Amino acid sequence: MKKLPTVSRADAALQRHLALSRRQFLRGVGVTLALPLFESAIPGTLRAASATAAAGGPMATTASGAPLRMAFVYFPNGAHQDNWWPAGEGSAFQLGKTMEPVAPLKSSLQVLGGLDHQNAKAGNDGAGDHARANATFLTGARARKTDSADIQVGVSVDQVVAQKMGHLTRFSSLELSCDAVRKSGRCDSGYSCAYQYNISWHSASVPMAPEPNPRLVFERLFGSGKGAERQANFKLRQSTQKSLLDFVMSDARSLQSNLGAHDRAKLDEYLTGVREIEQRIQRAESFGDLPDPQAEAPTGIPTDYGEHMDIMYDLLAMAFETDSTRVATLLLAGDGSNKAYPQIGIPEGHHYCSHHRNDPDLVGKIARIDRYYMDHFARVLKRLDEKKDIDGRSVLHNSMIVYGCGNSDGNRHTHDNLPILLAGTGGGTLNSGRYVKAGGRPMSDLFLSMTDRMGVKGVERIGDSSGVLKGV
Amino acid sequence: MLSPRAPARLSAVRTILVGMAAGAVAWAAEPGATVVNFRKNIEPLLKKYCYDCHADGVSKGKVSFDTFSSDAELVGRHDLWFAALKNVRAGIMPPLEDGAERPSAAEVAQLTHWIKYEAFGLNPSAPDPGRVTVRRLNRTEYRNTINDLMGVEFNSDSEFPPDDTGNGFDNIGDVLTVSPLLLEKYLQAAEFIVDRAVPKVAKIMTETTATGREFRGAGGAGGGGAGKGGGGSGAPLLITRPAKVSRAFHVDQAETYKITAELEVRGSFDFDPGRGTVICRVDGVEWFREAIAWSEKKTLSHVKDMTWSAGSHTVAFEIVPDGAKEGSTEKAAEVTGPNGTATRVDVRIVSVQVKGPLDPKHWTAPANYARFFPDGPAPADAAGRARYAAKLLGAFAARAYRRPVDAAHVAKLVEIARGTYTQPGRTFEEGIGRAMMGVLASPRFLFRIEAPLAGSAPVADVDDYTLASRLSYFLWSTMPDDELIRLASRGELRRELRPQVARMLADPKAQSLVKNFIGQWLQVRDIESVPINARAVLGPSARRNRDGRIEFDGPMRRAMRSETEMCFDHILKEDRSVLELLESNYTFLNQQLATHYGIPDVTGDQMRLVQLPPGSPRGGVLTQGSVLAVTSNPTRTSPVKRGLFVLDNILGTPPPPPPPDVPALEDAAKAFKGREPKLSEMLAVHRANKLCSSCHERMDPLGLAFENFNAMGIWRDKESQQTIEVAGQLVTGEKFASVSELKHILTHERHLDYYRCITEKLLTYGLGRGLDHRDTESVDQIVDRLEREGGKMSALLFGVIDSTPFQKLRRVNPSVTSIVSESPTVTQVSTKVSP
Repeated sequence: MKKLPTVSRADAALQRHLALSRRQFLRGVGVTLALPLFESAIPGTLRAASATAAAGGPMATTASGAPLRMAFVYFPNGAHQDNWWPAGEGSAFQLGKTMEPVAPLKSSLQVLGGLDHQNAKAGNDGAGDHARANATFLTGARARKTDSADIQVGVSVDQVVAQKMGHLTRFSSLELSCDAVRKSGRCDSGYSCAYQYNISWHSASVPMAPEPNPRLVFERLFGSGKGAERQANFKLRQSTQKSLLDFVMSDARSLQSNLGAHDRAKLDEYLTGVREIEQRIQRAESFGDLPDPQAEAPTGIPTDYGEHMDIMYDLLAMAFETDSTRVATLLLAGDGSNKAYPQIGIPEGHHYCSHHRNDPDLVGKIARIDRYYMDHFARVLKRLDEKKDIDGRSVLHNSMIVYGCGNSDGNRHTHDNLPILLAGTGGGTLNSGRYVKAGGRPMSDLFLSMTDRMGVKGVERIGDSSGVLKGV
Repeated sequence: MLSPRAPARLSAVRTILVGMAAGAVAWAAEPGATVVNFRKNIEPLLKKYCYDCHADGVSKGKVSFDTFSSDAELVGRHDLWFAALKNVRAGIMPPLEDGAERPSAAEVAQLTHWIKYEAFGLNPSAPDPGRVTVRRLNRTEYRNTINDLMGVEFNSDSEFPPDDTGNGFDNIGDVLTVSPLLLEKYLQAAEFIVDRAVPKVAKIMTETTATGREFRGAGGAGGGGAGKGGGGSGAPLLITRPAKVSRAFHVDQAETYKITAELEVRGSFDFDPGRGTVICRVDGVEWFREAIAWSEKKTLSHVKDMTWSAGSHTVAFEIVPDGAKEGSTEKAAEVTGPNGTATRVDVRIVSVQVKGPLDPKHWTAPANYARFFPDGPAPADAAGRARYAAKLLGAFAARAYRRPVDAAHVAKLVEIARGTYTQPGRTFEEGIGRAMMGVLASPRFLFRIEAPLAGSAPVADVDDYTLASRLSYFLWSTMPDDELIRLASRGELRRELRPQVARMLADPKAQSLVKNFIGQWLQVRDIESVPINARAVLGPSARRNRDGRIEFDGPMRRAMRSETEMCFDHILKEDRSVLELLESNYTFLNQQLATHYGIPDVTGDQMRLVQLPPGSPRGGVLTQGSVLAVTSNPTRTSPVKRGLFVLDNILGTPPPPPPPDVPALEDAAKAFKGREPKLSEMLAVHRANKLCSSCHERMDPLGLAFENFNAMGIWRDKESQQTIEVAGQLVTGEKFASVSELKHILTHERHLDYYRCITEKLLTYGLGRGLDHRDTESVDQIVDRLEREGGKMSALLFGVIDSTPFQKLRRVNPSVTSIVSESPTVTQVSTKVSP
């Protein structure tokens, strides 16, 4: 097997582990790795691009007519500061130790410093930095401190975009998670667990629950069953659902009229879901047959966490490559996660290690955990970089992928100078290959500059944004 | 909501409110009187006990009583008084200090009374039921409800995304959101479940399928020819060994049947020269024979229509290796492969299927048919079919919605059914199935829609159907059964409440209460996934474990979970005191767990009641492996987490969360000059820091009391070669020298705190909402009942069930008397659908 460049300097245990999980993975979904671009993706894409052009300005489309995608990946508990930040600035910079795995793609990414989330800070709300780190990450908004009643934060950037341009693809957005097991009892310091396990918010009060099961993600994107069955199963399912939607819609409406405000809001959530499915079914016909990802469906949630990350990353990549969606989020683990990493020889919990109090042993472990996450991220970037898009550029070139955390220094729970890596060139609109110091701007400003590139007009504010972040 | 920042307007608004809500959520005293009483009776108490820290420019914990613009504003600060009430009752405030005077019992009572009945304006004879948001079924409830309604297992844990939790539980209406993804899943699930459960035709050909395992005889690999096969496809019959296996099939009719035999030939990874023949005979007459040689994986399939007499018929297989004699069972000469290993070509019987009689006149109703079509196949005429559809769907929907449905709704369901079954090639049953999908996707099924009894009072009893659902989801985590619904339909459920609750608790479904309540309250759900690294926890002693295992393995974790669940179940079933959850001379163990605890004379895997030896530190959940492990870090104990656990889940007085910017401890750690400090020394540093000490003085001594138990719950005398000091003191002054003494304090001096805590937890779980200051009266009434009845579990359980929030609700819109059915109901809910 070809050796991954990403593990060249990793320790032996990690190498063995990666080699193993890669082998296992190849037996599962990964056979797509070396295949050419799926032809089936092309018609949909072209049609979508021309459709938007007719509607008065292309959305989510590059200058060369290829789809433009955005994704957000969340890793937990902040980053080892010294190893994260590069030396130098601008295009003359050297990647830190954590980012060594992505060094081969240095020219396709930007390290962004000086982006802050004021609303993740304590303010008058006291403790709960982990919950806030998660809740604020893509919303830029302050989460209302409540254990259950009246949950509220803000619409996340991915949903702002998805709600405007979701009609261009089969799925308006994709929400994924590698955090399948929930802890019982309370979450962080009086914040509902909803804040800690969701980064994508459909409205200020309704999170987009992410899907942790790779099999279900696959079946949702590409149909269930094997090969040719998928198309037939998909059609059958759509016709069944179509026949039920009118009924449940009128049923929900008739119930709603007699309910109190809070209950009405719950039924509203239900009705929103019904309408989205209805629209998707209406659109489906114009997209033609389901894309064939040329891969077997994965079986379920792998026991090895690294393997779980790889599969989810691959599903995200497949969704982009087949133009099934142009907006995705992936929560690797909720902030405050105390996951242990025995596969890289770290039996202690992540959260425990992150409060290292400068203890060299724990600091070293945090560095290795950060690196472990980066190794897996590097793997999907490599895949996207090798995959040709319809304009001849790579899928990575035509993407904007934010990899980051809402906590900067896990030891101290800071929310300034967040660790943010922006991968991809945004179809040529991003000035990649640099280390950019934004100098204390809201992270939400980056969101505005991304919605701008996605061609979504009329978004004046996201969370605490102050204006479009220039110079990225 | 009224803003507390608008005091001037506030009192005016209040006066109006009081007028409007008279009789319902009544203010016990006029706002004016409340302020007067505050000045007269309460302010002097505050001056005497609180002002040192919470007035005159001092605002410890960001609380000061003298910075409000008016008394009315101060009196209206419910959050402040709610905290004060909790802290004063738990003895946390005023803090215990040498020489400082403590408020007398009478003074505490006076303050408590004023806060509850004046500041909060609660009416003890008519507590506020509060507002509960309509709850959607969570994953567990959905799975159980589907199981009861449809008779099929649906693995909602893997098919649906995890539910969000709030207030420590996963059944809280406010956080059980419905994302578009989840709705999509509900639609798919409805389709999948109906497809599995509901027959699509009225009659089917009988078929019997026997797997390879069911073939018995002589020879073969396992000697018996069956047994240790892989994955249900039967035992391998090695091609080198003679074998004969057979199975008898019984048929009732002398008719024609279709027989299908499926075999699989599987070679090992390496090529193997073994060869032989497999012969299949039916009633001694040869049906087919196949020459078998090495093949990686090959399926052989034979189908034949045979006319059988009524009675028993035998299908037999024989393996004849090359060189052996047909009919002989003598072992042939061992054939060896090129590298000298024994040959590994094997034949497996995958299955033999007997289908028939083929003549449709003998076909019978499919399994489950009577469950969904109790009156048999549909009549032929269109009107009769529509009538039958209405009857079936009306009964099904009523059962699924846990309440009657109106005729208009049933008519819509019949329309869906007809839209399908009138199409060519589609059956009546398929149409009914399609409408049933609609029922399973309906918000009436997915949400628990509640309604008050008819009338116009702003606070009213819930109707009997709502009560039935509240009871069944509380005690069973599933839908009400036929008996509850029957009583509800007659309006007799309230009268029969006690015997019904007793019946429900005796039902195995009550395990859901144990698992879901205990699992979340005491976090024992997490024991199976908490990352504990046995090698790191045990250190050098790891190897000493029997048979060299140092894993903290699945069976051990499950035994721990069972121990805690069985203790709760025992107290529930025998109606013992809830104090025994904290302190008892018994527990539930099997051999593995008993060995783990160092308790002798327990053998076998079965968990059973064990009397503990005198002086044992076990007994009570706090020293059970489950709680000790879930409050630990992966490699070591965490006294802070354990202390917090006791405060949060036993005493009900969680400390405020840590300040957002925890000061670094590294400077303090330098004091040890390179020496590895003991954990207790590290924590002492913690407590020496002013910012930390006020809370850590409460948490740490409680947590350190458990230091004799490592992160896996094993007893230890030393930690890192240093002796363990467990003696400590509660913030309320009680001193203890051992963990047993601490448990004793919790069940004696502090037992009221524990009663209040467990009441709040169970009430939260039972209501599906967080509690607030308006629930104080309901909680207090249950605590009083527990105290009167010696802590009996029944006092707690019925306390919750009889409480105002459980029995009543606020009417949303008094002009609407019934939420669900405005047209007359056509369907008797009690129509039995189950087989």
